[in-house]
Amino acid sequence: MKKRILAVCLAVAMVLSLVACGTKGTDEGDGKGGASTSENELTVWCWDPAFNIYAMQEAEKVYQKDHPDFKLNIVETPWNDVQTKLTTAATSGDLKSLPDILLMQDNAFQKNVISYPDAFASLKDSGIDFTQFPEAKTAYSVVDGVNYGVPFDNGTVVAAYRTDILKEAGFTVEDFTDITWDEYIEKGEVVFEKTGKPLLSCQAGEAQLVMMMLQSAGASLFDDEGKPDMVGNDALKKVLETYKELKDSGVLIEVNDWDQYVGSMTAGTVAGTVNGCWILASIQSAEDQSGNWAVTNMPRLVGVEGATNYSNNGGSSWVVTSNCKNIDLAYDFMKSTFAGSVELYETILPKSGALATYIPAGESEVYAEPQEFFGGQSVYKDVTEYSKEVPGNNTGVYYYEGQDAISTAVQNVVNGADIDGEIKTAQETTEFAMN
Amino acid sequence: MTLSRKQNLSGWAFLAPATLLIVLTSFYPMFRALILSFQRGKGNALTWGGLYNYTRMFKDAIFLQSVKNCFFYLIIQVPIMLVLALILASLLNNKDLKLKGLFRTAIFLPCATSLVSYATIFRSLFAVDGLVNVLLVKFGILESGYNFLNHELSAKIVIILALIWRWTGYNMVFYLSGLQNIEYSVYEAAKIDGASPWQSFWKITVPLLKPTILLTAIMSTNGTLQLFDESVNLTSGGPANATITMSHYIYNTSFKYVSNFGYAAAMSFFILILVAILAFVQMKVGDKRD
Repeated sequence: MKKRILAVCLAVAMVLSLVACGTKGTDEGDGKGGASTSENELTVWCWDPAFNIYAMQEAEKVYQKDHPDFKLNIVETPWNDVQTKLTTAATSGDLKSLPDILLMQDNAFQKNVISYPDAFASLKDSGIDFTQFPEAKTAYSVVDGVNYGVPFDNGTVVAAYRTDILKEAGFTVEDFTDITWDEYIEKGEVVFEKTGKPLLSCQAGEAQLVMMMLQSAGASLFDDEGKPDMVGNDALKKVLETYKELKDSGVLIEVNDWDQYVGSMTAGTVAGTVNGCWILASIQSAEDQSGNWAVTNMPRLVGVEGATNYSNNGGSSWVVTSNCKNIDLAYDFMKSTFAGSVELYETILPKSGALATYIPAGESEVYAEPQEFFGGQSVYKDVTEYSKEVPGNNTGVYYYEGQDAISTAVQNVVNGADIDGEIKTAQETTEFAMN
Repeated sequence: MTLSRKQNLSGWAFLAPATLLIVLTSFYPMFRALILSFQRGKGNALTWGGLYNYTRMFKDAIFLQSVKNCFFYLIIQVPIMLVLALILASLLNNKDLKLKGLFRTAIFLPCATSLVSYATIFRSLFAVDGLVNVLLVKFGILESGYNFLNHELSAKIVIILALIWRWTGYNMVFYLSGLQNIEYSVYEAAKIDGASPWQSFWKITVPLLKPTILLTAIMSTNGTLQLFDESVNLTSGGPANATITMSHYIYNTSFKYVSNFGYAAAMSFFILILVAILAFVQMKVGDKRD
């Protein structure tokens, strides 16, 4: 008897869970099942609730003022999933699963548009004025002279420093403004000696710092035709030398993952960082350090032609997919919000730190407001100024292949391998991948 | 219709749905993947490439490195893990042991954790300021934290440790169930004849468990060659590709890099062939029935 009761219970539980699965399944189906069919609705994929999802929600409100029936269906999708879903949809030839609009990492833009040209809608006739964005930024989303993306967030590189630690070592932020990497290392050694703290941390095996240094001189791993350009690339060689020096001097400490990297700043084990300005949001999560941070430009390479104190890392752009049923609505929405509404950018900046690449927004007063966390510095205005100086470079279709090859080279060089040899291997690896 | 024919037919009728599903969801994709592996090109633009992808992988330094890494894990980790599982299983098979259930559960439990979360936990354990380093420094073994995941050999060892932690209990369960089939009287007889526990382990347990050992060896080989989560989440394949596995590289060529699905499919078939060969060899060596 007991057994029978147990069996009945189990059966009921199974049926219930099946039913539960069923309803959940359909819910998800509605949410993720591609572009919106309703006339006044658009489906969007983006990934950060505190940042780009929030920005989209505000954009919806802005657009609703003139179009009360308009609705956005925002689906939170991490970037890696966006890429996987996009690849799956495009290779299977069934684009129906794609949303109307998705957010794309700038570094993956060329690769995706060139590999899957049918998946994206050209913005040629959208009426969006792309001259309102910095050229280096729009360059990511232009393929064969056609615009495919509406630039969104800013990846302008900043160097952020703990002013209290610098003070302990006898420096101010001005000592780190407009400097070279040589001076940076020299001063960093003093800081390390006096406070025991490195100036900089980065993820081992990630070539981001290297890529930032490279772009600061307008250089790239690829030439204008997209061929690997590593052997004989003076800027690249100097970058690797600089990186090794940074590591050897103890001014740079490598950690293993992103959490440890952010942790090194929030826990105060390093005295600063160099990264895309979006890192400021993570820095500000350490509320106890309020008032102790300041932002300036990054060091420049020594003896490299075209070296500047400005660079870019990361950033993303909005794309309209060719699965969009209401293409005019999507164009108009983008035109009236991310490419036309200073008000939108004014709203999203204070809460999310989402720095615009929309030039007119940078002139807004909200950007000029002093930030308490950064000791009263008008950080956002400064970064907007930097962004105008960033040299453009060619990321190329094979950006990730090149970056991984260089990151292998960096790790070997740090462990004592010959720089020229490693660069040659990296070039061969990339050429092999492209073949 | 005769009775036996009727029974035959109803038998097939019951089998048909499952067979059909397996063919549709498993064999058909495999067949398509095989065709794909003979094609080359980026993303969707594929052309017939014949054996190009299969010859290409032998010139691919990263792929060869990943094959080497996988074999390193295989040769070192699988024997350690299986011996450990065998020892644990025979210890826990002891009739007089108290709290047997508790020990068995404790050892099996790692296997129920998610692959991603356990890899992440191992990563933070072995971080420069992670628990392992803190302990080593505290006991004076190291002067300052050692970056385990940033050195070739130590990163590989961490992966092996992680694998042993995760999978030993899983294999132990197979051995435990195999041990249930060995009569206890056999051990008693050995005892009476004066055999030490060590002798009865090697002379009774191991030979009688041979089919189970063979099964676990083949499964572990298969699993190790397809290793993915640890390489991706624990070490990201680094430093300098020192820990990257074949599956990780296949994932990169499909999704991270400019998609080269033909090449990825060819490499997957390479793994299949490797697994098949190794399983065949193990069966030949392990199964010496007269």
